Amino acid sequence: MTMTESPPSEAAESTEPVAATPGAGLYDALTTSDHKAIGRIWLRLGLLLLLGVAVLGVLVALEGTSADGADVFGGVNAVWQMQGLYSVGLVLLVVPALTIGLATIVVPMQVGSSNIAFPRAAAAAAWGFVVGVAIMVVSVLAGGGWGALDGVSGGEADAIELTLLGMGMVAASILLACICLATTVVSLRTPGMGLMKTPLFAWSILVSASVWILTLPVLIANLIIIVVDLRGGPLLFGNPEGTTMIFDQVHWVLEQPAVFVLGIPVLGIIGSIVPVVAGARHIAHAGLMAAIGVAGLLAVGGWSQPAFSDQRDELLFVAFGLLAVVPVLASLALNSLTLAKAGPQVGLPPAQLLGALGAGLLLLLGTGAGALRVIGPFDLIGTGADAGVVHLVAYAAVVGLAAGMWFWASKIGGYALPNAAGLGVMLDFIGAAVLMGAAHVLIGFDFASGLNDAMAWVVFVGAILAVLGAVGVVSSVASAKRSGDEPGDDPWHGHTLEWATVTPVPAGNFVGALARVTSEAPLLDVAEQADSDEGGAS
Amino acid sequence: MFTTGFKFYFGLAAALVLSALVYGYATGGEHVGPLTWGWKGGVGEHIGYTMLMAGGVVASTISFVIVAFRDADPSAQAHYLGVDEIVPTATVTGSYWPVVGAFGAGVGLIGLVLTPVLFVGGVVICSLTAIEWMMDAWADRATGDAEANAALRDRVMAPFEIPVAGTLAVGVIVLAGSRIFLNASKNGAVFWAGLIAVAIFGLGVLYAAKPKLNRNIIAGLVLSCGLAVIAGGIVAGVDGEREFHPHEPHGDDYGDDSHAEDDLSE
Repeated sequence: MTMTESPPSEAAESTEPVAATPGAGLYDALTTSDHKAIGRIWLRLGLLLLLGVAVLGVLVALEGTSADGADVFGGVNAVWQMQGLYSVGLVLLVVPALTIGLATIVVPMQVGSSNIAFPRAAAAAAWGFVVGVAIMVVSVLAGGGWGALDGVSGGEADAIELTLLGMGMVAASILLACICLATTVVSLRTPGMGLMKTPLFAWSILVSASVWILTLPVLIANLIIIVVDLRGGPLLFGNPEGTTMIFDQVHWVLEQPAVFVLGIPVLGIIGSIVPVVAGARHIAHAGLMAAIGVAGLLAVGGWSQPAFSDQRDELLFVAFGLLAVVPVLASLALNSLTLAKAGPQVGLPPAQLLGALGAGLLLLLGTGAGALRVIGPFDLIGTGADAGVVHLVAYAAVVGLAAGMWFWASKIGGYALPNAAGLGVMLDFIGAAVLMGAAHVLIGFDFASGLNDAMAWVVFVGAILAVLGAVGVVSSVASAKRSGDEPGDDPWHGHTLEWATVTPVPAGNFVGALARVTSEAPLLDVAEQADSDEGGAS
Repeated sequence: MFTTGFKFYFGLAAALVLSALVYGYATGGEHVGPLTWGWKGGVGEHIGYTMLMAGGVVASTISFVIVAFRDADPSAQAHYLGVDEIVPTATVTGSYWPVVGAFGAGVGLIGLVLTPVLFVGGVVICSLTAIEWMMDAWADRATGDAEANAALRDRVMAPFEIPVAGTLAVGVIVLAGSRIFLNASKNGAVFWAGLIAVAIFGLGVLYAAKPKLNRNIIAGLVLSCGLAVIAGGIVAGVDGEREFHPHEPHGDDYGDDSHAEDDLSE
């Protein structure tokens, strides 16, 4: 036997119903090896972080509305620390936590597995992330961060090292979770589900996990170099007069192409929601898989570190930046064609479709802004456009993940999330992304100082919308859990295997053995077969 | 012996490493630079070399993880065990060790910066976690009966676990307390000592009143204490010890407490 469940056997006889999912108390959360409970830990932490980072974003934006600084944080060094925490928090804490949470819950069910691969390692990744975040945040608040502008004192040096080590622990935890998710998709697919028949969300998670697996070790190596230098010297990074070199060394992970990895699961979520809305299979499932794969290739970013040798003027960097638009455009086009061909079903809650398509358009804007950024004559690198790309892509991911949470709510927590609140949340986040992203890009163009001042206030308004969106998600989840409404096993007539199980999902996920899968939409196959049988009988 | 997943990833790793070496030497690698990751000589064009070599390292790590836990291919295991098919019965039981391991890693990282004692503590916790984790994995598949597996595991491990856990708990409290006291002012130390004493007394009363306390409450207390230790340790460690100014005894003042000046920082 193994540490994980074996994939269901074709020859296996139907088994007895499995036990219900264990209780949802803290003890169960601490000791669980069930992928749904582990995923919920990630999701809860992700929502908490989203709320915190959104509030921090308002304060950072307020600080930016005055040329002299609004002195929100009490000193130039504190501003620098909080800007770093906000950037890292958005890219490396919020979006990965929400993505891994949703994926840990949904992906094993989508591929027909009874659990995630290496479930204890997946639990360790979740708790390692919690501890890493605690170390990072506390050390920043204690005077650490990614360098200091006003000189480094002894205590601050220790806190800076702790920030870097906490960041490393966060990266290692994400890496471990990615290994569990990638192995699940590679090794635990149900019989008949070849790789080309993998559901698009699971495929997008395999691609993005692979990109993280290639990217995060490079980041961890960066962090080790800095910490070793700080402890042993310092020769490179520890200028006591004040330095931004530490942030310069690691901020490639917050920029394109590395930051585009956040958007890959969005393409999978769109690809999972659109055919259900259309009530038909994708017109080009393989094409969508190819688009997601190409997006993954163009999001590998460990090579583009400007600190050692600046690659950002070279052809490869420019090509990566320009080509990143193509797979997003292709994915949106293929999804739109699927919708146009079948026509949307009447009566489906629109929040998920709005979220999915809104996230796709934001991702298109983000990659488009990235394409502008790499065009030399615009001279946008190192300007506000950097933050513009990050905001558009990161909030595209947040919108897409929120749409995914609304779509899979019954499988996540056994509840249905309210549609009206969903619409509000999606509009809040889309508005936040557009305002913050566009304003930062315009600041990057530096047309006029008066316009830049106005754009700083636009960023502030966008940040407030982000807080409202975050509050909306949290309150929606809380009210849905209290309402006790039964959403049913398959409220949307889904096409993939996660809709074949009951709600709430029991331990082991599936009651009895699954039939052999013959396409990427096995439940649609069953429905079509039933229609065909009825037609033949009549 | 070797699963399909292992063969795939190991083959991929070998291909990537060989590609990196060929690429490195073909693009100007010197001496044994490409073989030693640039330690002795240049690696050639470093971007492509780094990407290929990093891919090889990642793939080889995955391959060894897969073969270590034999997760990738049930049919390979069936072949190894000489049976037609492995019935999927092994449910992975719940365990505290993932969260304990994460906590140990956090303590180790904090110790790496602040004090070697904490670092050693973190290493000890991680080592114990590794042992316990392996024992859990073994017990999960010892027999086909989950209850018998749990009893078997406890019978082997409980005589070691209880004393070690007690020792570690006391050690962590003492260490964390010492950091707080070294950082606190004179009046602050009184406050913290009182608070810790009240907390210990309160927990004792609570346990005496309700011996079968809800396990969620216990888990919450343990988790809160763990995070508090990490946060308190960081803040106190970064802030540093308060300054001590030992008062030199001299002349007429010797033995005269009435003139002793309290130089401890308030």
